[in-house]
Amino acid sequence: MNSITVLTLILLVLMAIVGGKRGVVSFISVAFNFCLLFLTVILIAGGFPPLAVSAFMGICILAITIYMGNNDERATNVAFLATLLVLGAMLVIIIPFDHWAMVAGFSNEQSEEIEAFNLLIGVNFSAITAAVTILSTLGAIAEAAIAVASGLEEVIQNKPHISLSELFTSGRNIGFQIMGMTFNTLFFGMFGGDLSLFVLLYKLDANFGYYLNAKIFVRECMLVLYSAIAVIAVIWITTYLMGRKVNNLRKTDR
Amino acid sequence: MFLFIVMSGLALFFFTRHDAFMYRQPVGRIETVTTTHREATTDSYHNHDEEIQQQVTLRIINGRYQGDLVTIRHTYSQSGGLDQSLRPHQQVFLNVTYDGKRKVWQFDNLKRDTTLAMLFWTVIVLLIVTMHLQGLRALLSVALNFALFLFFIQLDVQLNLNHFFWLFALSAFLFTLLSVLLVIGWNKQSLVVCTAIFLGVTIALALGYAILQETGNRGIHYEALDFATQAPEQLFFAATVIGLLGAVMDAATDIVATLFELKRAEPKITKRQLFQSGQQVGKAIMGPLINVLLLIFFAGEITMAVVYLRTGNSIAYTFEWTMALGLAQALISAIGIVLVIPTASFLATLVLGREKA
Repeated sequence: MNSITVLTLILLVLMAIVGGKRGVVSFISVAFNFCLLFLTVILIAGGFPPLAVSAFMGICILAITIYMGNNDERATNVAFLATLLVLGAMLVIIIPFDHWAMVAGFSNEQSEEIEAFNLLIGVNFSAITAAVTILSTLGAIAEAAIAVASGLEEVIQNKPHISLSELFTSGRNIGFQIMGMTFNTLFFGMFGGDLSLFVLLYKLDANFGYYLNAKIFVRECMLVLYSAIAVIAVIWITTYLMGRKVNNLRKTDR
Repeated sequence: MFLFIVMSGLALFFFTRHDAFMYRQPVGRIETVTTTHREATTDSYHNHDEEIQQQVTLRIINGRYQGDLVTIRHTYSQSGGLDQSLRPHQQVFLNVTYDGKRKVWQFDNLKRDTTLAMLFWTVIVLLIVTMHLQGLRALLSVALNFALFLFFIQLDVQLNLNHFFWLFALSAFLFTLLSVLLVIGWNKQSLVVCTAIFLGVTIALALGYAILQETGNRGIHYEALDFATQAPEQLFFAATVIGLLGAVMDAATDIVATLFELKRAEPKITKRQLFQSGQQVGKAIMGPLINVLLLIFFAGEITMAVVYLRTGNSIAYTFEWTMALGLAQALISAIGIVLVIPTASFLATLVLGREKA
């Protein structure tokens, strides 16, 4: 059997043992997301506009990640809305910065891998790069949004008459803890993947100026910075939306 | 405060636009750009593209040619896979060669330090505005880990070990220690978290390695690893162990913190209840965490996969050579995340159970 198949089966078994029914649901959500990502690649290669495709798929991935395996309605709705707003905001930030930095496509350090290809293939590489950036931050913002929303939900359950400013303070405390951990997840995930790149750059004996301007290094750094911005924004927006929702509810109660 | 933020941003922008004197390589500021030639191209897979020639005049703004006005020819493709169009006001690095006595200038690289600095500034400002000074502490952990990361890269290149995987395994151990100490501090709780992470990651990697060996790495091409300058299989496992660390830390810290908090709030809680609560926390976070890593590892392969698919390769072949490695990495990481849940719950229960209520 194929190695990937065996790894997948082992993962399914482990998730079922550890998580029971909920574990299986989580596995299905991951599998769905994988299929959506695969479909994204095929659609982009088929000539569909990369940004539109990834924005649409991004919304689907967010919905699956947030709604599958979380039952609390208020928290999930708030988390979903917050991630959608951040997805929109990311497009607004990524497009101009990518336009200035011009980090699309491949870099000279990758020439060995792409020398077999003729790159005049009529796709918009800068849109693909922006799409990749958006997709890679989605998981982190979904996770942070759920964590903040369900944390705040618990605060509201325990203390139904909490004032708005207290709620925002709680939001900031919860958000701070989550942010530290999410930064770690992103940092290790992204730099772990770039391990071989860093070894190569070190072997090239590059100077400091090279790092600040090289396409590949700047692109990877910008990816980490974009996701940091997305995570900070989603924590803030989730807290704000949660507060607004509670406030509206109290007004209608009266 | 507001004024300070705006001023610092403007100052940073101004400085990085005028820091060309710090570079040894000639930097030119583009004055005018004219398109001299356009040519439509079609490859054997019926992909339509366009090659465009530009004539660009630049003013050299540093070094011994400062003030010179030079002209270069620049060719780029409409799709921009490996090249880019040039626009007025951009600053670019140039190479100069001598053809007899005549200087020939060539475009080398775009100057990107301004963009990078401004984006970095945006992150710092956002952190301070939303989290106040506390926010900068979150950056500290990342900065220290980054320094440690670079140190180990340097060590790897200088020592040039045959079994360099163990070097990065050691680095992963230190990363864990450093991050957990920064988040939780030095106490019983951090000891439990570290042990859980160590056990979870070790078992996951051993399991992943055993499965890959047992299946003869079928469908996995280590030679497809990007930028591999060392044994690619070891590099793959080194990248995996570092890549999954953050997510596993997240899960372990969450579970252990919750259980310690439970015990504090309700000292009479039974061992069984404690373990069950740990599993509950774990069940809720495992799906989202696995998704985070899947998206990070998979998205990085999209560009290459598009190139494969547009140049006449089948979907199966493209999958094997571009996505299989990233997916295997995500799967092994996912196994690590799942395994750390019972490990952390069990260890925390063990430690808390011995304490007298």
